[in-house]
Amino acid sequence: MAEENSGEKTIDDWRIRIDEIDLELVRLFNERTQCAIEIGHIKKRLGLEIYSPKREAQVIANVTAANSGPLDAEAIRRLFERVIDEARRIERIEASKDKGSEG
Amino acid sequence: MIIVMEENATEEQIVRVVDRLIKLGFDIHRSTGSRYTLLGAVGSRITDLRDLELLEGVNKVVRVSAPYKLAARAFNPEGAKIEIGDMVIGGEQVVVMAGPGVVENREQMETVAGRLASHGVRVLRGGAFRTSDDPYGFQGLGEEGLKLLREVADRHRMLTHSTIFDISQLALFARYVDIIQVSERDMRNYALLKELAKLGKPVILRRGASSTIEETLMAADFVMRCGDHQVIVCERGIRTFETYTRHTLDLSAIPVIKKLSCLPIIVDPSRAMGRRDKVPPMARAAVAAGADGLLIEVHHDPDHALTDGAQSLTLEQFDKLTDQLRVIASAVERTL
Repeated sequence: MAEENSGEKTIDDWRIRIDEIDLELVRLFNERTQCAIEIGHIKKRLGLEIYSPKREAQVIANVTAANSGPLDAEAIRRLFERVIDEARRIERIEASKDKGSEG
Repeated sequence: MIIVMEENATEEQIVRVVDRLIKLGFDIHRSTGSRYTLLGAVGSRITDLRDLELLEGVNKVVRVSAPYKLAARAFNPEGAKIEIGDMVIGGEQVVVMAGPGVVENREQMETVAGRLASHGVRVLRGGAFRTSDDPYGFQGLGEEGLKLLREVADRHRMLTHSTIFDISQLALFARYVDIIQVSERDMRNYALLKELAKLGKPVILRRGASSTIEETLMAADFVMRCGDHQVIVCERGIRTFETYTRHTLDLSAIPVIKKLSCLPIIVDPSRAMGRRDKVPPMARAAVAAGADGLLIEVHHDPDHALTDGAQSLTLEQFDKLTDQLRVIASAVERTL
């Protein structure tokens, strides 16, 4: 592909930046997930349900309120629904591992 | 499965459905659209869809995976090959199972079996416990019939095939019959299927005249779940508005079952058509469509047969049909 105007970033430059951001997202997703796992263990100990619809609604409200675009609120909501789905899943898996203690 | 919520479903209703799904052991993929919220339920468990359809705010529930597991293609992507001695059902060879509708006497069995064996037919069929729709008709020879079937088949180095109708016949079938057929009426006789599975013999499950393909494969799953994986599905015609033939032979079931299921499928054109002149065309079509086998009624003297002479081929008709089937089989990369 022909070189673009000097001084302007190329597609490759932008992709390098996206790759960097993705790695950062992976790190953050896992850090967030670790928090969810810890909560899962506590819930288990206290006999609380893994599914907390109120808390999930609060998470969505927080992130959409903080959003300043260019993604619109609906897009942010859909992205975070997936994040929450996965957090709920891993909480379930982790909780089932300590089943023995519950009997 | 996917749950589509009503356009005006409230958050409370959605939460209640999610909660139910989680309690059933599913993981949820929620997607809130501008109009409809979709809930993807991920998990391998089988659930009664109606339980979810009844929840408030649910528009519809769509099943993604089939309600049967062991009979599904995914369980055995290569396709099940049922080995009986050195014969394989579900392999390259199209297995022809032929013989009279019912065992009448030794002369009949010898004459028919001799001719079939000369064509390389490996399975001799013969009914012994006929449950004729005609209450006054010939009801079969019972154990004597099965014994005769066995003796004649052994002499011609053939396997035996017969239809079981009742749990009380299990011991006899265990003793005399290699391939046990379950009639269309008994496809859902789960008490019989459960006991039959314990024998561990190949079972031919005939699709009921009013049963869907899915129901048929669920019945197959039942036998497999009870420990017998040697199940062969048989298409023998379904009930339609057409009255000219006894039933409508659903040849479309062949490629459909091949795709959905790992089980071999055979076709019985005799029973479906009910008239011998209509049997060869449908037998040819079945092989062309990919059937793994055929069940064909053949009688040396159909005009004097005790039952179902009208749907039995004469020996000469069978000779001719075999020659034709050989050509068709090779055209679809099979052997006869």
